[in-house]
Amino acid sequence: MVGPITLLATAVVLPAAAAGVLRRLLRTSMVLSLPIGISALLVNLFFFPGGSEVLLRLGPVTATREGLELALQVLARILAISGAITLFYLTTRPAELVVDLERRGVSPRLAFVANASVQTVPAMVDRASAIIAAQRARGLDTEGSIAQRARGLVPIVGPVIMGSIAEVEQRTMALEARGFTRPGRRTLLWHPADTGAERVARWLLVLTVPALLVARSAGWLDLLG
Amino acid sequence: MLVLEAVSYRYAGAERPAIRQVSLTLDKGEVLGVVGPSEAGKTTLCLVASGLAPRAIRGAMDGRVLLDGADTTALPMHEMAARAGICFQHPQTQISGICGTVFEEIAFGPMNLGLQRDDVVVRTWDALDVLGITALAERDPMQLSGGQMQLVAIGGLLALRPAHLILDEPTAQLDPGGTRLVGECLARLAAGGASILITEQKTDLLERICGRVVVLEKGGIVAAGPTDEVLAAAGLAAMGVAAPSRVRVRRALAGAGFGDGAIMDALH
Amino acid sequence: MIELRLEGLVHVYRDSTVRAVDGVDLQVGPGQRVAIVGQNGSGKTTLVRHLNGLLRPTEGRVLVDGSDAARLHVAQLARRVGLVFQDPDRQIFARSVRAEVEFGARNVGMDRADRNDAVSQALAATGLEGESDTNPYDLGDSRRKLLALASVLAMRTPVLVLDEPTTGQDVRGVEIVGSVIRAAHAEGRTVIAISHDMGFVAETFDRVVIMREGRIVLDGSPAGVFAQRAWSTLEETYLEPPFPSRVGARLGLDSTPTDEALIARLRERASDSVL
Repeated sequence: MVGPITLLATAVVLPAAAAGVLRRLLRTSMVLSLPIGISALLVNLFFFPGGSEVLLRLGPVTATREGLELALQVLARILAISGAITLFYLTTRPAELVVDLERRGVSPRLAFVANASVQTVPAMVDRASAIIAAQRARGLDTEGSIAQRARGLVPIVGPVIMGSIAEVEQRTMALEARGFTRPGRRTLLWHPADTGAERVARWLLVLTVPALLVARSAGWLDLLG
Repeated sequence: MLVLEAVSYRYAGAERPAIRQVSLTLDKGEVLGVVGPSEAGKTTLCLVASGLAPRAIRGAMDGRVLLDGADTTALPMHEMAARAGICFQHPQTQISGICGTVFEEIAFGPMNLGLQRDDVVVRTWDALDVLGITALAERDPMQLSGGQMQLVAIGGLLALRPAHLILDEPTAQLDPGGTRLVGECLARLAAGGASILITEQKTDLLERICGRVVVLEKGGIVAAGPTDEVLAAAGLAAMGVAAPSRVRVRRALAGAGFGDGAIMDALH
Repeated sequence: MIELRLEGLVHVYRDSTVRAVDGVDLQVGPGQRVAIVGQNGSGKTTLVRHLNGLLRPTEGRVLVDGSDAARLHVAQLARRVGLVFQDPDRQIFARSVRAEVEFGARNVGMDRADRNDAVSQALAATGLEGESDTNPYDLGDSRRKLLALASVLAMRTPVLVLDEPTTGQDVRGVEIVGSVIRAAHAEGRTVIAISHDMGFVAETFDRVVIMREGRIVLDGSPAGVFAQRAWSTLEETYLEPPFPSRVGARLGLDSTPTDEALIARLRERASDSVL
């Protein structure tokens, strides 16, 4: 039991606190983990085979202490995974990530798509609002029955898609007109700082994984529970 | 020097060519205006001159586009971009959307060309200077006014240092302040010796900056010559082009019997 | 023939503290032709969207034909106030010109006979009568804009609101828009248009309303609004008076916003000096 908790604390909670995002992390991570967490908890609590100490009997299912132990372990692991992912998302700026990827050899086109895709949804939402306004101005009723509103989707979806495609075409031309299709790397004006300390930390993290695997298979981790 | 030699262009899937047998020359340091009604082929002309057609836009092209005497057919798009830069009428779709500042946006072109970092920086500052928008360098391009955004788009072109600038109705979507901003900037570029091919509906603007004007109708050139001659021609309206205000008012006044010197002087 | 009234209108967009419309009182009588001009961001678009209920006032009231617009749905207001947007590609969805034009007329409940009539008239008025079965995307930008206009014309609303009808249009397009406005006026319809073309405004409208930073700064006839005494106000809003005004000023004549006005004043002066 101590194992996963220790992992959670050192790998996720401490760095989050250091980066000042602990509260947001806990909130987001909780929300993400909730559905799977609850089902994992219930399944393991009530359906653990061979449990001896009974805690609760609910009709055909039995909650055992061993089940509870396993359930909490599994929950801790789920929290660790979701916590780690959330930590990454909260502490990385997309622009910096993309520039760094490009610096290390990722194609500029891929980098562009990664960056631009963030804009896609807001741009489409914007376009959709404008189109809805124009159709309402021509009498399209968006406040009536469900059936009416469903029919009303046709004059909206069409222009949203056509317009988005047309915009992509125009933007593509603009990009080509500024030499974007030149093969090879492009000059980068800046890239995120990569200090010695960060490099060391990165290597440490990378080496920790095989180290943990070795420890696990040699049985040392069981000593920690 | 940019030359179009009997160029015809038909878009993929279209029945008829959008431009037919168009020949024109843009000399170094010249500002050439292109006018004509909607669907006359002005945009197609610009796309062909800049190389986007047929490279980025599928279609069939006849005739040749020459830069300083050399046929450009074999030139890839990124090399055309550095020689004949193009700018369109909608500022929003010309902004890359991935640059956080105006500086990076204007540097986008030189960055793509793989130039030395110092070179990129110098070109970007030069472009910002020439356009008078150094104060906007740190701003988010998506948050600018239409006129400012259009200047950033033009800046992105200038940073490539193309020998020729092609502008397709650059002020069409701008409000009066934006039109004035861009118009003044174009006048400065023209005065500074830039080679510009510009299409516009606003003949008042063309009258101020163009040395020669070409009239396009249904894909073909129907008139060409010095600005004053072409824009004052009697048949202009029939070709679907509005005469500049000065010409229109002069005609109206002369027609009403007020053609004398003092009144005519007031037109200038 | 209906009246429009804005009383103390204020509008602040959600997530903003800026007063896009900052206390506007405006009354537009039946059959008037009003142009609203000003820089982008001056509140013109925000203002006109209150006329058909797309936007609701943060403060103040909007009265359409005497009723408070707050009580009516947009779909209901659309029968009285037809609003044509600037970008036709943010509304065109049908596969034929005819179907596109019919859309609005059908929504406001016109019966088939009236609808066919309205559609034919609208197509003729915008020069699209030969394109009934054409796919809208096979038309050029200029004619697609006219298509958007036709689709609202066919709704036969007593009030027509046009958002930048001449922006991006060629000469023929501008002429058509002008004749549509004059014809609507002749039928007694009210026309309100946002425009950046001062020459077009001076020639087509009886009243010009100039906006700046959410407020009305000038409101009068073209002759009044483009007269020399107003030039400093125009300058502040980055607007230039139409060319004939400037020529007139150089000749010592005030209030000559159109070619006709300039000629008329020159004739007046000529006959005055004879006397």
